[in-house]
Amino acid sequence: MSLAWFLQNLLNGLSIGSVYAVFALGYTLVFSILGIINFAHGAVFTLGAYLTYVLAVGEFGLNGMLAGVTLPFKLPFALALLVGAALSGLAGVAVERMAFRPLRKRGADALLALVSSLGVALILVNFIQYLFGAEIYSFPPDILGDLPPAMLFQVGEEFVAVRTIQAVLFGVSLLMLLLLVWFIQFTKRGKALRAMAENPETASLLGINVDTFVLGTFFISGVLGGLSGTLIGVSFGLAGPYFGVSYGLKTLAVIVLGGLGSIPGAVLGGLVIGLAEAFLPPDLSSFKEAVAYALLFIVLLVRPQGLLGHNAEEKV
Amino acid sequence: MEDFIARYGFLFVTILQQALLGLSLYFPLMTGQLSLASIGFYALGGYVAAIMGTHPELAPLRETLGFFLYPLEWLVALAASTLLGVALGYPALRLRGIYLALATIAFVLTLGVVVLSLPIAGGAVGIFAIPQPFEDRLAYAWFFGPLLALTVFFLWRLERSGTGRLFFSIREDELAAAAMGVNVTARKVQAFVIGCALAGVVGAMSAPLLNTWNARQGTFDAAVACLAYVLIGGARSKWGALLGAALLVSLPELLRPLKDSRMILNGLVLVLACVYMPQGIAGLFARRRS
Repeated sequence: MSLAWFLQNLLNGLSIGSVYAVFALGYTLVFSILGIINFAHGAVFTLGAYLTYVLAVGEFGLNGMLAGVTLPFKLPFALALLVGAALSGLAGVAVERMAFRPLRKRGADALLALVSSLGVALILVNFIQYLFGAEIYSFPPDILGDLPPAMLFQVGEEFVAVRTIQAVLFGVSLLMLLLLVWFIQFTKRGKALRAMAENPETASLLGINVDTFVLGTFFISGVLGGLSGTLIGVSFGLAGPYFGVSYGLKTLAVIVLGGLGSIPGAVLGGLVIGLAEAFLPPDLSSFKEAVAYALLFIVLLVRPQGLLGHNAEEKV
Repeated sequence: MEDFIARYGFLFVTILQQALLGLSLYFPLMTGQLSLASIGFYALGGYVAAIMGTHPELAPLRETLGFFLYPLEWLVALAASTLLGVALGYPALRLRGIYLALATIAFVLTLGVVVLSLPIAGGAVGIFAIPQPFEDRLAYAWFFGPLLALTVFFLWRLERSGTGRLFFSIREDELAAAAMGVNVTARKVQAFVIGCALAGVVGAMSAPLLNTWNARQGTFDAAVACLAYVLIGGARSKWGALLGAALLVSLPELLRPLKDSRMILNGLVLVLACVYMPQGIAGLFARRRS
């Protein structure tokens, strides 16, 4: 229980928590304008990780349809991350066109959209499995170039290790958060988005093309999902096509904890869950997965509007 | 013919079993509440049966009871699910719509992790070599068939009873029902608990069928599958769960020649059903009649 122990866990919690926050924001954006939870978001997360892997490493695994195929090029990691995220954004757009738009046009029940997005998630995940195989992929250790794997800082008698990958996780997530807040708060399009979250009908009367903005939101959401998938994948490896689904479920706890549809809430929720997992005593580590779910359950019962939610008043 | 039974007997029993799980979700849906909790109670019931069937200290009980062990397992599972259902239902059913769906998912997932760390539930390996009453898997239709018939008959009576009408009044307009003096929360909990109890009994019947029981019985995927039966079959009719289970359970079998890509098609069916048949298969018949 020394200072170094505390700092180390704080660091671990903040770096993973910031990725949870970015991932959660993808859910939050969609929820705030459509009032729907997009269950295909976890599949887009997986897709982003696999795409970045292939772009950066240049080859596919051993037992998918594309086994043995090699790309004629290898992108540097930073570029692969961006291209992978952009492609995930397009996948997000495809999800909207397939699962949400037809239902929205008919004014169908929001719960039906939940099921159709689960259907799209099933399609995406199995498509990934078909192409990439069900094996575990892990990024090569030199993926970040010549950077040292970790740096040690002395605190009193002990050392705190900052893994380079943790710094990357935190840095990229922070940058994404700042970009997103800038976009939503300080640009005209962001303003239009906030207007839509407030009231889509009024927004459309005022000349905002709702369909375009919904597509745009799904694009941003997909980018956030793909990006966070890659970050988690670089840090912990890609444990098969279903790995995004479990992170997706855990992140539901993040958005509910913060308050559905609230951006500061999603960030706070991500950090809280990341820190809660990091500070969990080692002998309880088998309960690590349950922490988020139990928190989700308790928050729903005690404070369904979440920590920063205001009973569905404030959105985006 | 024997070949046919050997091949499709298990499929038939699985359809009966999954239809029952779908029906366990239909009960809360009668009051308009979307719950995904059933699969958790199914897992619980299975563990009850698995422990009663294999625990060394219960060996004398098993010898005395013989075949009657199985009905006893059902009763214990029924009691356990009812108790847990009430304990979960009262706080959870203050929530609505997506919040209730999320809370019940969280319950299922938490239960899954907790079970993994309980020594009596056998950890990650689970419990295996659960005694089986029948050699032939098709014979389990004698378990699930009567339960299904009983459930459908119960639903048929319920829908025509005062309680059933109260359930439907909440589904159609909760505020109006409350204004008419319906104790909304109590009715929702009632419907929810009936569903939980049914799922628990189905679990207790399924443990001998599957011979092993582990944490994989109560996953998110399974919860979604149950929901899909009801929604694709039709959420406003008791026949919906039956039709949906029959379709979705046999679909992967029929699509078996497609191997890996059959799950993709399964997802496609889900999406298309949501888009083109919002009232489910049962809804198509209802429209034709009117």
